[in-house]
Amino acid sequence: MINKKILLLLSLIFLLSGCWDKRELNELAITMALGIDQSDDGYKVSAQVVVPSELSSKGGAGHSQIVLFQATGKTLDDALRKLTKESPRLIYPGHLQMLVFGESLAKEGIGKALDFISRNWEVRADFYLVVAKDSTAEEILNVQTPLENMPSNSMFNTLQKATVNNSTTTGIKLVDFIGDLERKGNEPVLTGIIITGDKKSGSNKQNLDSISPSARIKYDGLAIFKEDKLIGWLDEYDTRGYNGITNQVKRAVSTVACPEEGEVNLEIQNYQAKLKSKTVNSSPKLEIKIEVTANVGAVECFIDLRKEETITELEKTFENQIKENIHHTIKTVQNDFNSDVFGFGATIYQQDPKEWKKIQDNWEEEFPNLKVNVDVNVKIEHVGAIDNSFLQNMKD
Amino acid sequence: MQKDKINPFQFLVLVIFFTIGSSILVVPSGLALHSRQDAWVAAVIGTVISVLVIWLFTFIGMRFPNLTYVQLNEKVFGKWLGKLFSILFVIMTLLNTANLIAHSSSFLKTQMLPHTPTIVLNSLMAIILIMAIRYGLTTFARAAEILIFVFFFLFIVLVSFIIPQIDVKNIEPFFQASGKSLIQSSLMLAVISSVNAIALLMIFPAFVTQIKKAKANFLIGTIIGGIVIIIITLLCVIVLGINITIRQVYPSYALAKVINVGNFVNRIEGFMAALWILSLYFKMVIYFFASVLGIAQILSLKDSRSLTYPLGLIVVALSVLIFPNIIYQENFDGTTGIAFSLVVGLFFPLLLLIVYAFRKKQLKKNIEN
Repeated sequence: MINKKILLLLSLIFLLSGCWDKRELNELAITMALGIDQSDDGYKVSAQVVVPSELSSKGGAGHSQIVLFQATGKTLDDALRKLTKESPRLIYPGHLQMLVFGESLAKEGIGKALDFISRNWEVRADFYLVVAKDSTAEEILNVQTPLENMPSNSMFNTLQKATVNNSTTTGIKLVDFIGDLERKGNEPVLTGIIITGDKKSGSNKQNLDSISPSARIKYDGLAIFKEDKLIGWLDEYDTRGYNGITNQVKRAVSTVACPEEGEVNLEIQNYQAKLKSKTVNSSPKLEIKIEVTANVGAVECFIDLRKEETITELEKTFENQIKENIHHTIKTVQNDFNSDVFGFGATIYQQDPKEWKKIQDNWEEEFPNLKVNVDVNVKIEHVGAIDNSFLQNMKD
Repeated sequence: MQKDKINPFQFLVLVIFFTIGSSILVVPSGLALHSRQDAWVAAVIGTVISVLVIWLFTFIGMRFPNLTYVQLNEKVFGKWLGKLFSILFVIMTLLNTANLIAHSSSFLKTQMLPHTPTIVLNSLMAIILIMAIRYGLTTFARAAEILIFVFFFLFIVLVSFIIPQIDVKNIEPFFQASGKSLIQSSLMLAVISSVNAIALLMIFPAFVTQIKKAKANFLIGTIIGGIVIIIITLLCVIVLGINITIRQVYPSYALAKVINVGNFVNRIEGFMAALWILSLYFKMVIYFFASVLGIAQILSLKDSRSLTYPLGLIVVALSVLIFPNIIYQENFDGTTGIAFSLVVGLFFPLLLLIVYAFRKKQLKKNIEN
């Protein structure tokens, strides 16, 4: 009996020895950002990997906290595997935060690369996708960033904060991109990222030694795609319009011209845009209804904020300004790109499936001529801690 | 031979686990494939059909309150024909046990342990499977009774944490699927979660106390399980979108992956995997129980326990051999598997009822004697 028990206990050794697929932390190269560029025979992959010893609370040796491994291969999988030739640890993409595409690759199409990304079992879906504007992904990942130790963290947090607090960028994740790519009557967009300053010195840790780093990375513009290919860029003004149409404005500051000279800043508190599809005389039409609540943020002109008419007038001006912005964006996209990034087609399908069936086959011809009616309603609620500006008394 | 009985609540728990079983893992993409954004409608219809099927099973069960399905076959069809039907039934339950083990290991292999050999995963699963059957019906029913709370705790966590990610646009416009595609997909669900529940007739009514209450619980359990499937299907489509749901091999796992509450509660899918492993496990326990007891009764053995080890070995071997790859497995489940289940789980019981109607008087005399 006792022998049996001992035998049983001994057999436990085989079961408790651990997991077949175990990989200890010190065997992993934790990849925070991945850059994908075009190369002559396929892809060039740049993996920004954390150097854990430099991140430890004891401080490390003062070397760079990240290291960039690069390899080229016919496919993405191939290129990533080739990284093992250079990296002593296996690339682990489970903590990926940023996926950067080079502009030239984006122009060729990023669909094939995304198949591998979504098939891989370790990759999760919570990282941002961005396109390096006027540069390669490699160059973007080669810049040291201030405040955050890791550039990938910096990029991730910047985009997250900017998406909420400023309506001129928008963070796109894998599910959003593939969702837009596949939905009929909807084309995807991606955030643009640029380097300013001296590209070459950015990689050095001394980049951070001065108060104003010589190279910085920042978000700029919106990449317009047609299917999986980049076809053009929207500037900041039109990006704001894009966010306005697709209801992605959360909080933002807008500058509104005063009746005479000077400007007033309005802080958007609440923004709601609704798309409605309407068919008039058997031709599709869209209506965008926008409700905005805003507060006065700064007054740089002589207006009497105590009067209700002034507030009404400000509301009117802001309404027209938003309307103008949105019309401008729609026109730019319709005329220059002819790519339905707003999902107008998808809206028609959602609200009027019968109508969509009629037009879906020649949506490409319909989209540039689609009539869009914009209706904006602005409500200004608060004026801040003071009402009339002291600027008025300064005049005397 | 099996003597102990389980109470109606334990039976309810087993029914819930059986109904959810493998459906929670694979059904959403199957439903979305045919019914697109109306997958949840198909899930509702499928549940209604399931309830009808289960009602048929309870109707059969109530006629012979002391017999298992295998004994019942022999009684109604006569010794040899009955045994033939029972053999087909046992082949189905045995195949399904192997199928579910293969399912559980391919899930683990795809999502968590890619380098672990399949045979190791399958053997580990089979060990606890054999253990459950050797301890007996009452023991694993009690285990299920405790673990159902774990299951629903995880389920509520999953649902409430995924709610912020909902995008109603994903299921608009409503009711676009054609009647044919709706029926096609809802039948698939009904077969997986209720026609296969013929295996539960090895437990109900013979080994359940308070048969009337258990009968009601059979139906209630099916409805609760159905609601879980409806919610999961709806969430998959409404959060991930149709195309992503269709493409995922394990859509509900993909759902758990996107959980992110305030950048704080995230990456909990490994924890959530317990949901699927639990429901898969209890479904295979019921299938295996039905197989072991069924074979013992066909062969008129006194003790079914002696069958557990050899059958366990057969099941492990089958689970590695039956499917050369995961696509084959998906296709088998969608076509051959369904046809086989319909024959064994729907056609035979109906035939049994018809024969019973003709032989009613004669059978009653037999029972009285």
